Amino acid sequence: MKRYDCLRAIAPHFSEDLVVTNLGAVRHEWQALRPHHGNYHLQNLGLTSSMALGLALALPHRQVVAFDGDGSLLLNLGSLATIANQHPKNLIHIVFDNECYESSRGAPTATAGQADLAAVARGCGFANVVRTTTLAEFVDAFVRARKAKDLYFILAKVEPGAGDVPAAALDSQENKYLFVRYIEKSENVKILTSTLSRASEPRPK
Amino acid sequence: MKREVAAEIVDSLKDAGVDFVATLTEANLHDLVMALGEDKAIHHVPVTREEEGIGICAGAYLGGKKPAMVMMNAGFLLSTNALATVCIHPGIPVLLLIGHSGGVGEENAGHATVGAVTEPVLQAMHIVYEKVGRFEDIRPTIRDSQMLARSSRRPTAIVLNKEALR
Repeated sequence: MKRYDCLRAIAPHFSEDLVVTNLGAVRHEWQALRPHHGNYHLQNLGLTSSMALGLALALPHRQVVAFDGDGSLLLNLGSLATIANQHPKNLIHIVFDNECYESSRGAPTATAGQADLAAVARGCGFANVVRTTTLAEFVDAFVRARKAKDLYFILAKVEPGAGDVPAAALDSQENKYLFVRYIEKSENVKILTSTLSRASEPRPK
Repeated sequence: MKREVAAEIVDSLKDAGVDFVATLTEANLHDLVMALGEDKAIHHVPVTREEEGIGICAGAYLGGKKPAMVMMNAGFLLSTNALATVCIHPGIPVLLLIGHSGGVGEENAGHATVGAVTEPVLQAMHIVYEKVGRFEDIRPTIRDSQMLARSSRRPTAIVLNKEALR
């Protein structure tokens, strides 16, 4: 099973879902498959799950999906304990586990050895943990998670390799502004402060 | 930290619009963390590691919350990469409340180095900060630091010294 095929298979299920992507090829693959201002491409290895948790807690009525990786989650295993304790019902945490640091030329991660991230998630208190090794299993787990409206951890054991897609054109600042403006509009909230010109103030007599 | 100081910080945070706080406790922060956990107007997320809290606060900001992170300076030092990549680079504000171990009045020799490097690291990261100890400075400093965080779209910090923490 390849990550790109997983993403391509579930992309039609996304409407206004909010997505946080990990560093690496996954962001380019996802941006090509589902170009949307509700995609946030994190420029940090490790905090994908935590960003997605914050977003899910802030907007409990919106579905949030995290596309994490094994190298990233291994940097932030404690986030699984925090997520399980907070238990946001609107968060699906997907980990594409290719057992290597693919974007760093492929040295093995701990999951190439003894570590089992699904077992870690279960141990941290996730009630819904699915380990998938085929595309059919993965799509089935995703569809079930979305229907359940509950916190899910889906581990996708994938082969290394990136989809043949162009580089996503977004940079971090642009991505942030587009994402925030999209949230402001879709949620009818104000996030970015603005100040009026002094020229708008009444003139002193 | 005395209970009245903790209560003043919580009330000042709410006054400044803060509605979401991630914390990692320590003996000096215990009363503040417990008070945040009991407050109904603030969503409290206790974290396992400080940089995790920075990620959670940044995500909450993107979803419309006004976040703050409570931690000791050891945790701030641990969070520098998260602050650089997740907050400062894209322009995401988080109010940082940092307990200052190893500063003036410190009795524990083990905290001296962490205490000495805290302010230089804040300066190196261009994070605007204020040092607070006196009770009457808590409210205006939280209000003004939060104002700057929001308007500048950058993290700002309040360094709580021994006078505030003891």
